[in-house]
Order: sequence, then C-alpha cells, then structure tokens
Amino acid sequence: MLHRNESRQLQPNRSASQSIPRDSALYDSLILRTISRLMMPLLLMLSIFMLFRGHNLPGGGFIGGLLASSAIILQMVAFGPKVARRILPVSYLMLAAFGIFFGALWGLPALFVGLPYMQAFWLPEPIPGIGKIGTPVLFDVGVYFTVIGVTTKIALLLVEEPILFPLPEMKSVPVDQQEEVA
Amino acid sequence: MLYPIVFIALVASPLALIARLPARSLIAWGLALIPLALFGLTLTQAGPVFAGEQVVEEISWVPALGLNLTFTLDGLSLLFALIITGIGTLIVGYAGHYLGADSGLGRFLAYLMLFMGAMLGVVLAGNILTMFVFWELTSVTSYLLIGYKHDYPDARRGALHSLLVTGAGGLALLVGLLLLGQMVGSYEFRDILAAGDQLRAHSLYPAAVILILLGCFTKSAQIPFHFWLPGAMQAPTPASAFLHSATMVKAGVYLMARLSPALGGTALWDVTLAVVGGATMTFAAIVAMRQFDLKAMLAYTTISMLGALTMQIGLGGKYGAEGVATNILAHALYKSALFMLAGVIDHECGTRDLRRLGGLRRYMPQTMVITALALLSFGGIPILFGFVAKELMLEAALETDLGATLSILAVAAIAVTAIAYLITGWRLFSNTFLGQRSTAAMQQHVADPTPGMLIGPGVPAILSLFIPLVLLAPVSTLIAAASAAIYGKPLEVKLALWHGVNPALLVSLSAIVIGVAMFRFAEQLANMRGWPTWLRGDMIFDRLIERTLTGATALTRTLQEGRLRRYILITALTMLIFVGVPFISFGLGTIRFDLDPQLQFYEILAAALIPIGVIATIKARTRLGAIIAVGVVGAMVALLFVLFSAPDLALTQLLIEVLSTVFLLLVFSVLPVRFESFSSAWVRQRDAIVAIAMGILMGGLVLATATNDSFAPLAPFFLENSLDKGKGANVVNVILVDFRGFDTLGEITVLFIALLGIYGLLRLRQGKDDVTPERVPTTATEPLSEPVDTQR
Repeated sequence: MLHRNESRQLQPNRSASQSIPRDSALYDSLILRTISRLMMPLLLMLSIFMLFRGHNLPGGGFIGGLLASSAIILQMVAFGPKVARRILPVSYLMLAAFGIFFGALWGLPALFVGLPYMQAFWLPEPIPGIGKIGTPVLFDVGVYFTVIGVTTKIALLLVEEPILFPLPEMKSVPVDQQEEVA
Repeated sequence: MLYPIVFIALVASPLALIARLPARSLIAWGLALIPLALFGLTLTQAGPVFAGEQVVEEISWVPALGLNLTFTLDGLSLLFALIITGIGTLIVGYAGHYLGADSGLGRFLAYLMLFMGAMLGVVLAGNILTMFVFWELTSVTSYLLIGYKHDYPDARRGALHSLLVTGAGGLALLVGLLLLGQMVGSYEFRDILAAGDQLRAHSLYPAAVILILLGCFTKSAQIPFHFWLPGAMQAPTPASAFLHSATMVKAGVYLMARLSPALGGTALWDVTLAVVGGATMTFAAIVAMRQFDLKAMLAYTTISMLGALTMQIGLGGKYGAEGVATNILAHALYKSALFMLAGVIDHECGTRDLRRLGGLRRYMPQTMVITALALLSFGGIPILFGFVAKELMLEAALETDLGATLSILAVAAIAVTAIAYLITGWRLFSNTFLGQRSTAAMQQHVADPTPGMLIGPGVPAILSLFIPLVLLAPVSTLIAAASAAIYGKPLEVKLALWHGVNPALLVSLSAIVIGVAMFRFAEQLANMRGWPTWLRGDMIFDRLIERTLTGATALTRTLQEGRLRRYILITALTMLIFVGVPFISFGLGTIRFDLDPQLQFYEILAAALIPIGVIATIKARTRLGAIIAVGVVGAMVALLFVLFSAPDLALTQLLIEVLSTVFLLLVFSVLPVRFESFSSAWVRQRDAIVAIAMGILMGGLVLATATNDSFAPLAPFFLENSLDKGKGANVVNVILVDFRGFDTLGEITVLFIALLGIYGLLRLRQGKDDVTPERVPTTATEPLSEPVDTQR
C-alpha cells in the first residue's frame, strides 16, 4: 500500500537506491520502488505493442499512450518528478504538440493526389513484427504521443505544484491521522 | 497558376525573416522580388481575362462540406491582384529603409507577406468559403501588423479594435455567406452570380444582405464602424500604406463589388450602399480636413474614399461600375504614395504633427515634388488620374437610377467631399513644405532620403500623372474588364481626360474653384471646436468593451465562485432544463422497457455493484475510502464493457480509472485524511434531489437511445467495411483512426488545449504566489546532472 514514510529524514534505504535521485519522492516506499523499476520497461514495451496491434485487436494509440504514461507516472510516484522527466528526454508539452502535428501530417498525402484530407493510404505488404502500415496507423502514433504528453504533463504539473507539494520539506501529515492511511 | 500565386506569398513569408541580417535595405529590395514575381505571374494569366473570359482552377478540399479551393481570375480579381502585388513590391522595399534601424524588420516583413498572401486569397478565391478563410486571415495578420509595436498601449488598443470590429463583422458575414450558399445550393461565386433573380426573390434575401453588408461595412470602415481605421495608423507606416491603399480595408469594397451583380438591383442593397457610403464619404472628408497628424489625415481620407466606393456600387449603372474600378486604382496609387511620403517626413523630421512641421521645401525638394503629384491626384485636379476617377464618380451620381433626390444628394456630397479633399491636401502641403522653417526641421539634419526610399512613393505618384497622359489605353482595357465584373455584363470603357463640357465637369470645376477660394480659411476650419468625445466611435467602443468586461466579471463571480460543487450544480441544472424539459415533452414515448431474456446473473451482479459503489462513496468518511469506492464503480463499468464484448473500451476505462485514482491519491495526500467539514443538511438534500433527477434523466436518455429503432443502425456498415476498406479487424480502432479520423484529430486537439489550460492556470498562480524559482523547472529538458540531493 502506498504510504508516506514519516521517518524519511533518516533515509533508511539510501544505500539501496543511491544512484536514483529522490528529490521529491511522494511515497518513499521500498516495495513501490522495486516494483515500479521492474514494471517500467515492461509497461513501455506493452504500450508500444498495444499501439501497433490496435488496428486488428484491442489496443491502439489511446490505450498505448495511457499505458506508457501510467508507466511514467508510476515512476513519478515512486521516485519523484525529476526521474519521470529523465525517462523520456523531451518536453512533454512539446511531445503532446508534436503528436497532434504528426497525426495531422498524415492526412496531407491525400491532398497531393487530389483526394480529400485524411484519405487513407496503405503499404501493400505487411512489415514483419509490426503489421500493415498505412497513414491511419501513423495517425494513431500521433494520438499515442499526444496522450503520453498530455497525461504525463498534467501529472507533472500537479506534482511540481509547490503549493500542493512544498519541497524540500514535504507537508507532513499529523501522526494520529497517519494511521488511517497505512 | 492561380493558387501558386496565393501560396507563394503565404509560404514565402517566413523567408522574410532573413531581413534580420545587416544590409537590410538591400535585403528588403531583394525580397520585393517575390511580390514582383507574383505581379508578373498574374499578368501572364491576364490574357483570357482581357478577352472577356475567366480563369478557373479548382482543388477539392473538404468536398463533403462544399468547401473547395476554387480560384478564379476575372477583371475585378485581376485589378485587385495587380494592385496588391504591385504596391506590395514597393512597400516591401520601402519598409527595408523605413524600419532599417528596427530589430524586428524580419518579423514585420514576414507579417506583411502573409498579409499580402491572405489578401490575394480573398480576391482570387472562387468559392465563398475559401474567400472567408482568407478574409479572416487578413483580419488576423492586420492585427499582428497594427500591434507590431506591442510595447505601446496605443498600438495594442488599435490592433484590438481592428480585430474585434472586423472579427465581429466577419462572424456576421459568415452567416450571411452560408445563407447565400443555402439559397443557391452552391458555394461557388460563379453559381451565385448566375442565380441573381432566384436570390432576390428568396425570402431569406433581406437577412443575407444585411449580414453580408455588416461584414463588408465593418471591414471597410463604413459609418458607424469607421473608428477602428484611424486607430490602425498605429501600425508602422509601411503597413499603413499597404493596409490603406491596397488591402484589407478594400476587402469589403471588393466583396460588395463582387456580389453586386447578384444581390444588387433592389432598393435594400442599392439605397443602403448609396446612403451609408455617401454619409461615410462626406463625414470622413470633413473630419480629415481638421486633423493635425499626417497619418490621421490620410486615414480619414481613406475612410472617405471607401465610402465613395461603396456609394458608387450602390448608385450602380455603367458609370457606377466604371467609377468603382477607376477610383480603386486611382486611390491605391495616390494613397500608397502619400502614406509612404508621410513615413518619409516622419522618418526625417521625427514628427508628423502639422503644427511642428514647415519650411521643408528647401531641404526635401524631391519629396516635395512627389508629394505635390500625389496630392494633385488626390484633390482631383485635371490631367491627373484622380480627376478622371472623380469625373466618373460624378457621372455615376448624375446617371443613377435611384431617383432625383438621391442623385442630387450624391452630387452635393461629392462636391462637398471634393472641396474638403482640396483643403486637406492644401493644409498637408502648405504646413509641411511652405512657410517658416520649423523647430523640427532645424533640430535635425533634414534632407531628402536615399533614392531607395523614394522609389516606393515615387512610382505610384508618377503613375498618377502618366496613366492619363500616355497609358490610358491599356489601363482602359483593365478597367473595362474589372467594371464588367462589377456590372455583370460586358462593358465598353474608354477612359478619357476630356469628355467635352458636361454637368460633371462643371460640378468638378466649381468645387475646385470653391476649394481654392477656401484655402486661406483652412487653418481656421481646422481649429474649430470639435464634437464632444461621446460622439467619437472609438471612445464609445472602448466604453462598450469596458462595460462588457465588467458585466462578464460580475457574471463570472456569480456563476464561478471557485467551488467545484457549485459548477456541478449549475451544469446539472442547465442540463435538466435544456435537455430534460424537451425530453419529457417529446421523448418519453420512445422509451421501452425490454428485459433481455439472456441476462446472466454475473451481469446483474456487476451492474448492481455500481450503485453500491456510489452509495459507498457518498457514505465514506475518509478520503481514501471514497477513492476506493469510486474505483469500484469504474472497475465495474469496465467489467460491463468486457461482458458486452467491448475490450477496447474496457481497457481504456481501466487505464483511465487507474490514472485517475493515482491523481486523486496525489492530490488528496496533501489534504487531511478525514473530511473536515460537511455541508449542511439542506444543501445535501438539495444536491441529492438534483443528482437523482440527473440520474433518472440520463437513464431515460440511454434507454430511449438503446430502444430507439427509427434510425438505421450504423454498426453493420462499419462491420462490413472495416476490414475491407479500413484494413483493420478492430472495428473500434478503424473508426477512430480512419472512418472518423477527423473527429479523433479534433479530440486530441481538445486534449492538448485542456493541457494548455491546466498549464496556464498552475503556472499563472505560481507566478502570483512568488514561489521560490528553484522548484519551478523552466524546461523539461533542464540539465539533470545537477546534484539532486542538495535540497535535502
């Protein structure tokens, strides 16, 4: 269970995660950190898998994007926003904007051959491991980026909101209420 | 070759950013090759137009909406396109000198080119919706140009006025154009122009005319919307010169001229245009006469000329059409020259106030000669092009079909305007170049500017003299083609300096005589007491905006007091009234309560857990408990999706549920664990009633939708076509990215806008609360190698 470690000043697991910055970890929990570090690559791979299988099986850009951002948000909860920023070395705001741009871009090819915007084009042969590739799939990739960017950025904005989470001193919860959470 | 003309201007605009580099004036004249090339390209297309044909090009864009990128070139478009590109060439080059010391020259030229492209789009568009897109683009780009010096409050105010007035007019215009399209059944100009009789007989005709005229009047600064145009002189002078002579403000005139064969011929159209235009012309000419700022003087004379053009469209007839075309050209020539000259004087003397100028004839002889030429044309003095144009205007007033009263009024208005123009021109000239050397002239080293700067005003001023003397034949061909488009029928036009002694000439000459006789009273006229400020349109408009903002603030305070509970209450009540009442009146009959015989017990269980979860949420006494209970509701909804074979939705729902639980935990972790305060009993009872009513309404709506069989279901279409046409077996995803990809594009854009909203809100508050800067990362890609434990 997520809980706030009251004895964070003692830094009990400092040696275990020396390499990982914990500047603003929200829930200083060993279990959460271990699990989320294991889950991270799995979730990201799953998200990409979901993205590309979406055209024929449940999945797609939206679900894939949500999976990827939940992977990143998990890291943020466990290790703090700075680590979440390091996972993808891009500005999430820009990523979201890029997603829209990238998605809209694949509607354009149709215009050059005189068809209406967003008319689909497909490669004749499927690519091994990925499947059939066409402009709708690429459009879906744009959705994927937008969803990752938007969701993660909102989470980061919340966590980095100094009024909610004044750092370096976390707003402490009185001990008598602490037990309710734990 | 038409749409490249528009797109080259739009696409080439970023190229202008190279004018940030040194040697600006050279770069600017180099960039001027782009409009010059467009001028040449337009001329190459002109052959069929002179032969009475049209050039038409069409690209389908959103065919389902009737939105095609159609471009046509006829006489009227040709005239405008030549003026826009021709004057654009001069202005781009001139701007390099004028803004030579300004760091933003590149940005300015980029706006200017964009503006030019937008205006070319307006005049070349063959589809009214395409035209409207470019029309709005001219509003936006002129906003950027007017507000170019955004450090100055006056510039921002002027830009805002122009955007609000022309933008509001644009909305009216859009509705008018849509009505027009509905009446004809096509959005192409050629179909609309061919359907004149059908339009005039239609019951929606008055509404469409009024809406379209609102758009045109605001754009072309007709009374009572004239006040934004003097404010627009806050733009740097090259932009003003372009705005006033060739573009934007002429767009309204262009559209009225374009539509007059279809919409004209009724009292509503003709009399409105003649009266509003005539009033604007006279009023603005008198105001212009009494200004002291060079640019304000010129701005008001532009309004006056726009009124004159509008009036001539209303007066109609052969001479009306010829008069519009000729006056557009004459005005573009002398007004661009005069604005650029005002810029030269401002640039050299550091002021454009007539009271602080004087005696420049010794220092700026070349400037004086060019100014004199342009002013003579402006004043309608014989043998200059302005005279030819004015004669046609008088002919139009004398020959109009609108009756004797209007005819006499129009002639009188033109005579008064002509006298006012002469006095304006004389004041401008005598206070600047004649008389004593002023302090401004003494303080600075005043001299004629470099030739590069004089080319801009020089070319149009000299053309004003040369066209009537030697170029009358080719210009007549152009004017004939343009006025044929305004008249709606082919026309024979022979422009001439001498028509013999006729009433028009007599009126014109007597106006000149009276004007010259009044020269000595010019300053007294200018110093007469003005009208009170409440009569000034821009002041009234400012006050209107103030009131609107005060009202909006008061409304916001009432509706959005900052508590989520209140927002939800208002939303729910609004929905209950606007959806619930019609549903109870009309929709109750469509509900059928069919119990599915194949209902399984686990489906009932999952469904039953949803209300239980909701009740648990309400009853929860701790935040964590409430979050968990809400999570149960979401999970059960997801489970229902699985049971009814919608795995996509279930997956999405589950992920959203997980993320929102995480978000809730994040936010609630800083709040006290227990709810600290509860609302009073009556508030809870009220909320319960609203919530239950809402629930019943939504339930009823879902039932009505689910059991309604009066529409053919869409599902079979998607099931049949998704693998075949969408190349995907997952129907949901194929719908999302292919069949309804446009919607998805809209949705992710909304998502992004929501993010921007949250970003703005949180970042704005951080700024206000004076947060320690180290906690606010400036960019996401800030160096992460810094020692991160230092904060501990």
